[in-house]
Amino acid sequence: MCLWPSGLPYCWVFFTRKKFLVRVTSHGVLKMAESEEEVDVLVQRVVKDITNAFKRNPNIDEIGVIPCPEARYNRSPIVLVENKLGVESWCVKFLLPYVHNKLLLYRQRKHWLDREALVDITCTLLLLNPDFTTAWNVRKELLQCGVLNPEKDLYLGKLALTKFPKSPETWIHRRWVLQQILRQFSVVGRSRKQQQQQGEAEQADGERSQQLSDHLARTLHQEMKVCSDAACRYPSNYNAWSHRIWVVQHMAKGNFKVFHDELSSMRLWVSMHVSDHSGFHYRQFLLKELITELSQTPASTTTCSPQHQSSTVPSVNPHHHSDTQANGELSGAEAAGEDERQLSLTTVLHLFHQEMELCSDLIQSFPGHETLWSHRRHVFYLWHQWRREHQHRCSNNGSSESVHLNNSDPGLTEVGAQSCAGRGESVNGQRHASEPMEIDRAPLPDPRDSKRLKRGVLLPAPPGLPCEHSFVSSILDRCSNPEQRRFALAYKKWLDTVMGPQP
Amino acid sequence: MGTQVKDVIIKPDAPSSLFLDKHADYIAAYGSKKDDYEYTLSEYLRMSGIYWGLTVMDLMGQLPRMNREEIIDFIKSCQHECGGISASIGHDPHLLYTLSAVQILCLYDSVDAIDVDKVVEYVKGLQQEDGSFAGDKWGEIDTRFSFCAVATLALLGKMDKINVDKAVEFVLTCMNFDGGFGCRPGSESHAGQIYCCTGFLSLTGQLHQVNADLLGWWLCERQLPSGGLNGRPEKLPDVCYSWWVLASLKIIGRIHWIDKAKLRTFILACQDEETGGFADRPGDMVDPFHTLFGVAGLSLLGDEQIKPVNPVLCMPEDVLQRIGLQPDLLS
Repeated sequence: MCLWPSGLPYCWVFFTRKKFLVRVTSHGVLKMAESEEEVDVLVQRVVKDITNAFKRNPNIDEIGVIPCPEARYNRSPIVLVENKLGVESWCVKFLLPYVHNKLLLYRQRKHWLDREALVDITCTLLLLNPDFTTAWNVRKELLQCGVLNPEKDLYLGKLALTKFPKSPETWIHRRWVLQQILRQFSVVGRSRKQQQQQGEAEQADGERSQQLSDHLARTLHQEMKVCSDAACRYPSNYNAWSHRIWVVQHMAKGNFKVFHDELSSMRLWVSMHVSDHSGFHYRQFLLKELITELSQTPASTTTCSPQHQSSTVPSVNPHHHSDTQANGELSGAEAAGEDERQLSLTTVLHLFHQEMELCSDLIQSFPGHETLWSHRRHVFYLWHQWRREHQHRCSNNGSSESVHLNNSDPGLTEVGAQSCAGRGESVNGQRHASEPMEIDRAPLPDPRDSKRLKRGVLLPAPPGLPCEHSFVSSILDRCSNPEQRRFALAYKKWLDTVMGPQP
Repeated sequence: MGTQVKDVIIKPDAPSSLFLDKHADYIAAYGSKKDDYEYTLSEYLRMSGIYWGLTVMDLMGQLPRMNREEIIDFIKSCQHECGGISASIGHDPHLLYTLSAVQILCLYDSVDAIDVDKVVEYVKGLQQEDGSFAGDKWGEIDTRFSFCAVATLALLGKMDKINVDKAVEFVLTCMNFDGGFGCRPGSESHAGQIYCCTGFLSLTGQLHQVNADLLGWWLCERQLPSGGLNGRPEKLPDVCYSWWVLASLKIIGRIHWIDKAKLRTFILACQDEETGGFADRPGDMVDPFHTLFGVAGLSLLGDEQIKPVNPVLCMPEDVLQRIGLQPDLLS
């Protein structure tokens, strides 16, 4: 049955290497194709089929090549089943060189293509060969002159990544497109600000700005999804994870909540991908950013750029500090500031503690994974660094890890831990009436906690060097897995030489 | 519960001696059999492909077998108005291919075939305020491009045309707690990026900024029981990572920290005895890229059948001596 409109049959095989064209008739007999023009028509039709498939189903979510060495039926090699777009493999070998050469001839000004043809040809080309940089560049130009919109290109890239999840050029193009979106956003943000200064703020403009910030939040969310999908398709996908870092750095700068949400959602992911070094690195990156943010001095807590303040992604910033007066007395506002600072410090300890605990659990549950031991090094290093940098506010009493947040009154805000080898128990098990923001399914300390802190309630803190040594010993004592032992010994050596000798 | 070790097992019948003649035949024939499909698929990196092929031929003393005039003409026709060079005719210029083209012209001692001043202007124009380099006019930032920029200028003797201090400052912001480097600030350490960054610091005379012991440690941990090296924890060993890790170790003076004999066994096992060429891992399909890095790796390991290779630029030492370039190495 012929499924396609009349005209030339689809079942052609082109032996381009020998520069002559052959077709398969309905009886499977090879016949010479009449002319090169016919090939032209046929390939153009396949390109059109691809374009039409996207028109018929705008929700295509995956592409693939269907293994099919020969054209057997008189039907299009483009197959659309539900949301999956397939290309029969027999046609790729002639389709790709054709669209490739067409675009290069256009680039050399030897052959004219109108805008519509350029859009179709680059689409086909990039779905087959997404590292063809110049084809993405052609699309950048089309985008700049308004023929394409940014969402279309993000969508095309997303599809290419379903088949080629590492493709560096696809990720590079995404970053460029996202920058265009961000630029649009900041232009509107600036003009609104100017109008406000002139006292001419208009409601319509406010709505436009709101729409844009909704749009930005949606784009951010979609981008995370694209990264996750690519990370699941290819383990330790460097390009996907470094893109995700770029995205939060550029699209959620200073947005505390986004970083927290990311850390929460990553917890399950890394627990299910214990070999994925890149996924764990992303977690380390988030942790470091959060801790830096929480530890910032009052003077430098201008964390939200104007363009992000109006974002619908709420910007939660639980630490608006104020300086303590020289005489040590605190006004009402200052006392609140001090509370907040203590809360930030508690949060930092909480984050470190939870991370070490997660790491211990995973190391014990999944022995022999270098990634987990490497994660432990990184987190311990971060903790060690942080503690050293905040020595003026924290004093370390040996292995009990009692941390005093204010040297002048150690009893006031003592935060300690009996945590050893990441097995610490939370002493503060009280639940709060209202639901505070969650990190990794455990609530962040509530501001009211600082009152409890003042009463000397102990909160868990991450382990110190002696605890790490006993963690290693406990692994070595119990575990016979040779890989696990090798990594445990390497960690011990790392503690001794990089972190300083055992006291 | 057992853990699957991410490594390969080298079979007893795997190649254990070096088939240089086969590799030279493989590369010499590679350019001539232009299967339309395969050739089209890789055209976007053609200039680098030519660099890989020619460099490995030179290291094996077989460069005269390649068509010098044709290649130089090709490079000339890939230089654009802006000075940058593209992967092939009709493609857009990029720093990656500009470096490859300059490397090829150095092998042929014919840098003057292109407009050198324009190349320098192109590279200079891609430096950003923070010292980083964009790969092309569209602005993607990566420490790989910092390396491409300084390597191109070093080969042309024009390093003074850019702001080297700023460039160094940017690369150092990409250094991680493990002593390694990533593509941008905050990115994961990766053997390929480490090669670019240590190479960059060598060419800019800033190797003292590296924590050589810490980085050396991380690099040595890339060696797996098979002897091969991977590029990051829990990845499979690969001949190209063997080069990037080995070259970085050489640059920071820690090459003696790994088991050289085992690495040599791994690299030799990646040869295809029948077709010639090296694959990423034993038994896989060979390609010119892995063939260069296999041969170059063996050269760094001291194989005397191969010309000495420079670890920073991955070019024969005699070529660099001719142009008077001696990148720093730590001892």
